[in-house]
Amino acid sequence: MKKLISIFVLLVSFAFTSNSYSKTEIHWWYGNSGFLGDVIIEIANRFNESQDEYMVIPTGKGSYEDNMAATIAAFRAGDQPHYSQVYDAGAAIMVAQVKNGVVIGFEEMAEKYGIDVDADNYIPGIKNFYADGDGKMIGVPFNSSTCLMYANMDILNEVGIEEVPKTYEEFEGMAQKILDAGYIPLLQSHSPWIWTENFFSRHNLLMTDGNNGYDAVPTKTLFADTEAFVYHWTKVKEWYEKGYYGYKGRAWGDNQAPFTNGEAAFWFGSAASFGGMKGVLPNFTTNPIPYWDSVTGGKEYPTFIGGAANWILNGHTEEEYKGLAKFIEFMGSPEMDLYYHNMTGYAAVTKGGIELAETINFYRASPYHKAVGDQLGLEGSTIPGGYRAGNWPQIREVIYENVEPMLNGDITVEKALSNMDKGAAKLLKQFAKTL
Amino acid sequence: MKKVQFKSNYSQYFFLAPQLLILLIFLYWPIIQTFKDAFTMQDAFGFGSQFAGFDNFLFIFSDPSYFTAFKFTIIYSFVITLITGSIGLLLAVQANKVMHGKSTYKTLLIWPYAIAPAVVGVMANYFFSERYGLLHHLFNNLWGFNWYENVFDAYIYVIIAGSWKQISANFIFFLAGLQAIQKTVIEASIIDCKSNIRRFWTITFPLLMPTTFFLIIINITYAFFDTFGIIDTTTIGAPGSETKTLVYKAYIDGFKGLDLGSAGAQSIMMMIIVLVITIFQFRYIEGKIHYN
Repeated sequence: MKKLISIFVLLVSFAFTSNSYSKTEIHWWYGNSGFLGDVIIEIANRFNESQDEYMVIPTGKGSYEDNMAATIAAFRAGDQPHYSQVYDAGAAIMVAQVKNGVVIGFEEMAEKYGIDVDADNYIPGIKNFYADGDGKMIGVPFNSSTCLMYANMDILNEVGIEEVPKTYEEFEGMAQKILDAGYIPLLQSHSPWIWTENFFSRHNLLMTDGNNGYDAVPTKTLFADTEAFVYHWTKVKEWYEKGYYGYKGRAWGDNQAPFTNGEAAFWFGSAASFGGMKGVLPNFTTNPIPYWDSVTGGKEYPTFIGGAANWILNGHTEEEYKGLAKFIEFMGSPEMDLYYHNMTGYAAVTKGGIELAETINFYRASPYHKAVGDQLGLEGSTIPGGYRAGNWPQIREVIYENVEPMLNGDITVEKALSNMDKGAAKLLKQFAKTL
Repeated sequence: MKKVQFKSNYSQYFFLAPQLLILLIFLYWPIIQTFKDAFTMQDAFGFGSQFAGFDNFLFIFSDPSYFTAFKFTIIYSFVITLITGSIGLLLAVQANKVMHGKSTYKTLLIWPYAIAPAVVGVMANYFFSERYGLLHHLFNNLWGFNWYENVFDAYIYVIIAGSWKQISANFIFFLAGLQAIQKTVIEASIIDCKSNIRRFWTITFPLLMPTTFFLIIINITYAFFDTFGIIDTTTIGAPGSETKTLVYKAYIDGFKGLDLGSAGAQSIMMMIIVLVITIFQFRYIEGKIHYN
């Protein structure tokens, strides 16, 4: 009898659950966690409330790397989501998958399902980063950040520094003062992203051959061949030895913690990092990342777009893609763009969002948000707005592996950079073979 | 002698099927897949798959960080085996002597064994945190500890993290081994020899040899494979790639780097290494052991 009752209960509950899911489901996988993950859930909720035909179900898979691995594994098992967030370092891999029918390009999708947000609506730098060789936009820009310099103004006031440094030369000039006052002058959270990839973009230098991979499949990186890059790391090592720069391992948070706790004057992180600092650190500002005046001759160049884009995956029904198209349209609206910009600090990615921010005088109320747009909006670069190099997640690993022995003096700067080049060249060739 | 003969009506296959199916799905299929991956070159999504011969193997052999990982794995498994074995033995011998509250001691010493490696790593993370870590501050006062860049310090970090929980495993088996030794043997030896220490090394320890041999294999396998979670939650292989074990490197290349060919080749290399070590142990060490 008991058995019968439990079977009955089970059947009834089944009937109810299947009833409540009669909407068309669209699965969206993402690689943000904590607060940023909550905002993603909130976006999906808002979309789900705005209409009642479709239902976007967001699923967090951990970090960017975790989500990319999960998405690939799911695709190979034939169980992929409709929409997945893949980060900058994975962009080359995703763009290369259009021809295999894994990824549906944004422009193709927009044309087929009449999405009201066209590619030109996204700001050019961001659009180009996720475009293929012909300039057709493949990924849908989402959380677009770049590296910024955070400054603790209380420390600067205490040691009598009035202006935040614009160049590394200026930083070098004030570092001793900060150190003498008992603070760490500088920390940064991502050697490959901030001090490698964006070192090249910030100084208008090519990072790989084949025009950063935009003209031809790259075969090598230009680390040791770039004089300015060698100079930069020689300086970094010198700063590390003098105590101007503090290295706290590879973990993003370990490098950020001393700054958030008011022990460091400057920290280089992401545009989206200030959320956790607001209300904890009383008086800080966001500023463009410094550059070497001696390298650029006083000119400033924009950095690459960091963060991630959403990619449309193949293998689902027409009806589901219609819903996804609606969702993309929803996310591309000026209001949602500004909402996301405001909540997270990621750049506004649509022209509509930027216009809206100006109309309502958004940046006067929240100056934290301004630096990212300023830095990405700089003009005059002659290099492409990104890099199209495969196996980049592993190349980042190679960079990390050589930074540490360089800092502790096991190998020289030249040796470390040529090691990076060698490791990267092998990985680039490996990737070229799979194309 | 009467020969027992069962009539075959294929029912045995039916009863074997579930177990065979599990083996097939969770063991043989992945192994075949690994071999396939190791000898093909393909992109992350599995397209452009082509036979690559030994290219993937040449690729890992030309990678200096592979040899670093190899070196570290050997050092790591040796040190972990030594530390966990000796401390486990010491604790077992002492716990075996205890008269009162024996089971309390036992339970407390066995507890860490139940903790997952990843959790151990997270706990070690607190102890070695530069901001609030007790051990970090202790070592820092002694010699300026900095595992972010100093290889030796990073070794200490992962060795302490990796040993702690495995000591419990060694403790259990040694204790069981000690309790299996017959009282009469011990009593007879007390008459012959007064020295506790000598008695231990000449009587007790040789009788524990089968347990020791078993634990050496278990500890090496543990250091090779199970410390994955510990490395991932502590040093993630830094500084450089000095604290990457072979398994961790295969994981990074395969799942973070999305290069299944290289990861497959590394898995096969690992299989060969473990095979060689095990054959060596059984041939040369086991011969010297007397099972009672």
